Amino acid sequence: MKKAILSLMILGLISWTGCATTQTAHDDGGMHAPMTQHYEDSIFKVTENGEFSVEVLFPDKKVEMGVNNVDLIIHNKKDEDVTGAKITVTPWMPSMGHGVMETPVANEKGGGLYNVKNVVFSMTGDWELRLEIASGSTADSVKIPLPPVGAMGHTHTMKAPSPSEIDTSMEKTSMKGQFNVSYKSDVHPIPVNRLLSWNLDVKTADGQPVKNAQIKILGDMPEHGHGFPTEPEVSGTMEDGQFLVEGLKFSMPGWWVVTFHITAGEMMDQVSFNLLLN
Amino acid sequence: MAGSNRFLSLILVLGSLLVIFPGTVYAGVHDWSPGEVRTLKSLWIKSLPTVPQDPSNAYGDDKLAASLGRKFFFDKRFSGNAKVSCGTCHRVDYAFTDDLPLAHGMGTTGRRTMTLIGSAYYPWLFWDGRKDSLWSQALGPLESSVEHGISRVFVVSIIFQHYRKEYEDIFGPLPPVGKLGRLLARPASDDPGAFKGWLKLSLEDREAVNRVYVNLGKAIAAYVRTILPGISRFDEYVAALNEDRAGDLKGIFTDQEAEGLRIFIGKAKCTNCHSGPLFTNGEFHNLDIPVSEKMPFDAGRAEGISLVLADEFNCLGNFSDAKGKQCQQLWWMDTDTRKYNGAMKTPTLRNVVERPPYMHAGQFNAIREVLDFYRGSKNPDIEHQSLTNSDLKALEAFLGTLSGPILSLGE
Repeated sequence: MKKAILSLMILGLISWTGCATTQTAHDDGGMHAPMTQHYEDSIFKVTENGEFSVEVLFPDKKVEMGVNNVDLIIHNKKDEDVTGAKITVTPWMPSMGHGVMETPVANEKGGGLYNVKNVVFSMTGDWELRLEIASGSTADSVKIPLPPVGAMGHTHTMKAPSPSEIDTSMEKTSMKGQFNVSYKSDVHPIPVNRLLSWNLDVKTADGQPVKNAQIKILGDMPEHGHGFPTEPEVSGTMEDGQFLVEGLKFSMPGWWVVTFHITAGEMMDQVSFNLLLN
Repeated sequence: MAGSNRFLSLILVLGSLLVIFPGTVYAGVHDWSPGEVRTLKSLWIKSLPTVPQDPSNAYGDDKLAASLGRKFFFDKRFSGNAKVSCGTCHRVDYAFTDDLPLAHGMGTTGRRTMTLIGSAYYPWLFWDGRKDSLWSQALGPLESSVEHGISRVFVVSIIFQHYRKEYEDIFGPLPPVGKLGRLLARPASDDPGAFKGWLKLSLEDREAVNRVYVNLGKAIAAYVRTILPGISRFDEYVAALNEDRAGDLKGIFTDQEAEGLRIFIGKAKCTNCHSGPLFTNGEFHNLDIPVSEKMPFDAGRAEGISLVLADEFNCLGNFSDAKGKQCQQLWWMDTDTRKYNGAMKTPTLRNVVERPPYMHAGQFNAIREVLDFYRGSKNPDIEHQSLTNSDLKALEAFLGTLSGPILSLGE
């Protein structure tokens, strides 16, 4: 499921990034000119060894779970525009210890400006952009934390597709095709507002049960911008690739998306199930 | 010609029907689709299961404890000025809340009193859910300087003086209180003197005092568990639907009330949060309700999460009768405080029109003000289609049907 699901909040970005118009990298002995921050509503950071400054802008004025568009303005330590740089962008989720499968591509626009399309945030939480910048013989890197995912009561909504367009099947192949996953709830039909357990059946693409897997669970109401009022977790592994997931609670009727991030050995993939609750 | 004659007579017949049945504004207002009937039944009082057991309170269903708890609940001696009991703010004559925007005991608190109707069903207590059981909830206000304004040591001395036999019949011998020292001693973050007095007690004495204090809470909880909603007109309406007595529906609800109900479960989507027979999901939402500028910022559930985890009287603590995953709500609680900044618990709508003012700081004096606020809100949790003034009037009329008798031990 690469569908855009939840929005990050751009709200608060202005105050969060501060209002400094210039910042100086201190960690190299102050050997260079102050580096310029052009926009107050940008995120500004100097790379780890002080070689570059990076200013992150969101041209669409929003950051959403799903596919995003990011502008980078790169200066060198003399505060000059950096052209012809090779930039690797990795969206990273420190709390989950993983990134995403999609590789964003940076396109140079000139004057130190680079546009990065296809920046995918696959779930809610705290994300950072990890950048590696190489220009001539100089290379440096930086981790740029992004504002946290929106919370209950934020202004985002994503309209639900009509119920007939929502695939509510309980058995699915994961995003990259690595696993076949199905679930069974201990109570069915699934009630609102009650703690539930699910049995998750995880098999490889060729039908072999997955016995040892790290599974992380995320519930989301795309129309509301929040998910479970609980922290469900896998509390038991049974035979034949069965996992007991406890602590699921759907606090509202409506459209829910439950995503499982599954890591088993070298394999890492995710699968999302849609639910329409009355 | 014959055809147009027939057409003319059809018009006449339809016209006369309109004269006979003038209520055409709400035509079919008592007709419900199978899906709507399902939703209505989910809100019906008969769908309310029996009061769930509280594994953290071994005395929760003990009749003697409930009866003693009722006495504690109304006893004003459990206060610093001998004028405040639990019943001062949770008034029996006012649906177990009061008519003030902010609760007032020894002083004024920062939030409105919540009604106790059906509170045994809620996983979280207080607007911020900082308590996970009724017994633990009951202990908070006693040591709050603006509510009862006493200490747990003071509680033990009152029980020793006035309730010794009744207490001991249920909970066993009281510890000797002569050596307890300062009556104000309590582990209080707002009163270093009281805290110092508490620390001067031996570990055994502190443990003994805590045990009696907790037992008082468990007795009060046993009583509060009996405070339940009775059958309202709404429940009679659903009962008629359930028993296929369609002809009775009109006698129970006015057309406007039925229309309000349709809006409530339909385009206003009130059941997003006000779901189930208690008309609440018991969860936390920040609806950006305006608060007076004089009030300090209230983090609501964001703070409640930390408070309930740190609470010595929570379900996983030493004084609870439950263990591990028996404390399922606390065990699986969402600890991501960022998601709950300013979020407050959804209150029940049972008997709602009888107990203004509304919201966590009593911001609105009338139901209509609440509905007007909701209509104007862009918050995704309050999603609804455009609501007209007549829709709001119908909703208000419907909310009036949620009043019924409130049952409680001894009433």
